[in-house]
Order: sequence, then structure tokens, then C-alpha cells
Amino acid sequence: MSSEPALMSLTAVAKAIAEKRVSSREATQSCLHRIARWQPKLNAFMAIEADEALKAADAADAALAEGRVKGVLHGVPLAHKDMYYDAGKVVTCGSKIRRDFVATTTSTALQRLKDAGTVRLGSLQMVEFAYGPTGHNPHYGAVRNPWNVDHITGGSSSGSGSAVAARLTFAALGSDTGGSIRMPAHFCGVTGLKTTVGRISRAGAMPLSWSLDTVGPLARSVEDCALLVGLMAGADPEDPTASALPVPDYMAAARQSIKGLRIGVPTAFYVDDLDPEVARVLDETLAVLTKEGAEIVKVDLPDQRQLTAACQFVLATEAAAFHRRWMIERPQDYGAQVYMRLQNGLAISAVSYLEAMRWRGPALAAYLAAVEGTDAVIAPVAPMPAPTIAESDVGNSHDAEAVIQRVTRFTRPINYLGLPSLSIPTGFANNGLPIGMQVIGRSFDEAMLVRIGAAFQRATDFHNRVPEPA
Amino acid sequence: MTKPTARQIKAMAEATGVPLTEDEAARIANSVGPAFEGFAPVAGTLPFDLEPATFLLVQKVSR
Repeated sequence: MSSEPALMSLTAVAKAIAEKRVSSREATQSCLHRIARWQPKLNAFMAIEADEALKAADAADAALAEGRVKGVLHGVPLAHKDMYYDAGKVVTCGSKIRRDFVATTTSTALQRLKDAGTVRLGSLQMVEFAYGPTGHNPHYGAVRNPWNVDHITGGSSSGSGSAVAARLTFAALGSDTGGSIRMPAHFCGVTGLKTTVGRISRAGAMPLSWSLDTVGPLARSVEDCALLVGLMAGADPEDPTASALPVPDYMAAARQSIKGLRIGVPTAFYVDDLDPEVARVLDETLAVLTKEGAEIVKVDLPDQRQLTAACQFVLATEAAAFHRRWMIERPQDYGAQVYMRLQNGLAISAVSYLEAMRWRGPALAAYLAAVEGTDAVIAPVAPMPAPTIAESDVGNSHDAEAVIQRVTRFTRPINYLGLPSLSIPTGFANNGLPIGMQVIGRSFDEAMLVRIGAAFQRATDFHNRVPEPA
Repeated sequence: MTKPTARQIKAMAEATGVPLTEDEAARIANSVGPAFEGFAPVAGTLPFDLEPATFLLVQKVSR
């Protein structure tokens, strides 16, 4: 075990606190120490609440000493993307418009983690209104990648990716509407689980697109993600779209072998125009999975470009509908790129939007037919490792949407289909930047993704590598 | 499916209550054009008795 508690995994520190080998105060102080060192370089936190966190940690330690344990995350300090309502706290959503917005309710996902005993460290930076894949933010500054601070983190859960990678928090909530968990997980070298649409309640989470929004964690390992999703998933009277399907034992799935599983690799689209480093890491990942006993098979998927287009119709239209009032009343308070992308939603007619929504069922059925006989599909998260902050700062330029579409082209089809997808760190580029792969499953089969991802992490150490401050 | 022109986009936005300049409308037409082209093979081909909730049905039965 490391002498620095902040370097432990979520599951390890939770166990250590429960067994009184590490106190909640020690764990919290260790995170705060790292935050003080890294925050000036990374800009990962929106708010740091050191005094309140230590006070809550002391209360957790006192309760534990008296035998009062709240749950499996008793005393574990966490911070989350600043879009999860937490009653009494400012929730900026990464925006100027909500700079002073104080939530009056607490999101269901966050409340379930609180009920398990977590301590709040503060809140994490994000792209304005979660509408962007790079991590730039004109109001609060770009978040930086701890592996190389000149490079992007990916977005929109930019602070979550950066803070988990630098070991400033044991895990963090993100959200994924077009790739916003998987992208930062890939660029920052952490594990991220985009859940099935409906698996985790969205109540009290800032909406971007109600048909596509999903809640999920970014953490240091698949096992940590499994623990968090198990706590958050399930029916919620506050969100009628949250599924009442039983929540599997994801931690048990993490212990299962992958021997005999069939994992599909697309023959096109996800393997086209890859950076050579990403192509190399994909081959190496397949070799590890084969060595662990999985059979790799090729799959011919339906045209994914159509899914990407349909996703853009749905996302852009619903986002514009949410923001219409502020677009009329406060256009000057949006960053240029987000406002530009919201404007795009005005160009899609109701008939086009509803046609995209009507096609969703047949599109999912066609995808599932194509992957029949496999247990999951593996593909790159993005065609390239993290670009620099400077080269990806396209603002609202004429070709900005094309640049954004290129970065997100491997994630959006999965959002449109509502499928779960696990991003795991699978290697590094020659310049030291991480590269991740996504394991895509069937609806509500997060357990299979956990099983595959955990087996990969038992065989490799990419997820355990920690960036050093420059 | 035909991609909307800048002029059409300007009219649609104004009907929504969000005015656009001509430059903005031209930029949007350029941005959304590829999505309309990508969706063109699907547009207008869907069966009559298909609604958005079909997705939930497929999601449920495919488990």
C-alpha cells in the first residue's frame, strides 16, 4: 500500500477507512495536499471546499469510532462534475449564466453516493453546459491534461478526467451525451463507464439532451466504476425514465474470467483513419484479450455515419430547446462555441428531429443483429491521442463543427443507440499521452463490460500509472 | 433529405424567436450540412407505424 492515501483506489481506500487503517481525515488531507500542488497547473476544480471537507471527514471518523457506518463509501472524499445539483451549493454547469445558481435539490445519483457515506471535496470543472468534447471553457479557462499540460483533457467532463488522473479525487461523476465520459477517460488515461440510457437516474443532473444524457463515473479502475454504478443504478420516482430493471452485482462481474467470450472488432469506420499510435494500441489490446482467453471476431456493423448524423439531429435540437429562453434573453453570456452549436439546433426541423427519433429503434435492432454471437465490441474512443489545447481551440470558426465531429465520431453512434460503453486505458503514445479503448455492450449489460475491463486490468498496469507534476 | 439553405435557416430561427445574421445562417448551413447528407439514406424511408418509443421496446426485448 502506498504511504500516500490519495494514491489508493476507491475500493482500497474505502476498505482501509472501514478497517480504520486510514482515517477519513488522512484520506481527505492527502487529496487536498495533491489538489494544492496540481490545481494551479490543471485548473481541474471549480470549487475547493477544504475546511468543510475536513470537518465532514472528522465527523465520519467520529461516527466510525462509535460504530455508526453510513455505507460502503463511509468517509471517502470525492468531487464531481459541476452539474450535479447539491442542495445549498452553487452549481455553475461550467457557465456564466449559472455562475451564482444555488441548487435547492440534490441529484439522485449524488444523493445515493452521499447515502453511502462520501465526503464532498468541492466541485469539478467542465465544458460550458456540457456541450463540447475538448475541455475548453471561455469562462473558467481550459482544463489541462496531467500527462502533458499543453494538451486537452477531452470533454465535457474535463475536470473529472483531469482530477481522477492526477489522483486529486478517488473518482468523479461525469455525464455522457456524445462522448463526455469516454473522451476524457481516453485522453487522461482513466476508466470511464457510460451507462445505458435509463440505467442511472438523471434527476437533478443538468440536462443537455433528455434522449441521450447518461450519468456515469470516471475512476482509476473498472472495479471502482463497478462499485459506483452499483450504488447509483436503479429505479427513481424522481425520474420516470430510470429503469426498474434489477441492478446486477457488478463487483462479482469484475472477478469473472473472460475465457471463452467472443469480442467483436469492427471491420470499418472505427478502424478507419486511425493515428498509427491508436492503431498499434488497438492491436496490443486485442493481443491481451486473446491471451486472457477471449476470442476476437470481426463484425460488420451497419453504416455508423448515419447514426452519427441522427445523433447530431437529436442532440442539437434538444439542446436548443432547453436553451431557447436564454438564447433569446442572454445570448451574450454564452461562450462563442457553445452558442454557435446551440444555434445549429435551430436549423433542424421538427420533422427531421422526429424522423431521427423514430429511427432509433430500428437502428438499435440492426446494430444488435450485426453483433449477434458476440459478447461485446471493442473499438477506439477517438482516432487520435489528446491534441494540444492550442490546436483544438477552434472557437466558433467556420470549420469548428467539422473539428468537433472528427473528435467525437467514434462515441456519438453509441449515444444514439443508448448502449453502455466502458473506456479503459490500454496504452500510451510515444509522446507519453494515454490511449484508451471502448468496450461496447448490449443495453443494460454493464456487467459484461465490467467483466472484460477488469480482466484486462488484471493483466496490465496502464490504469495504475500516475502522472508526475511537471 | 435536402439540407436547409441559409435563407431557410434564418426563417426557421426567427420563427423560434432567435434572430440570426446572414453570416450566422450561412455558417450554420455549413455546419449542419454533413448531418443532413449523412441521414439522407434514412430520411423518408421509415415505415408508417413507427414511433420514437419503439426504441424502448427494442432496448427491452434485446436484453
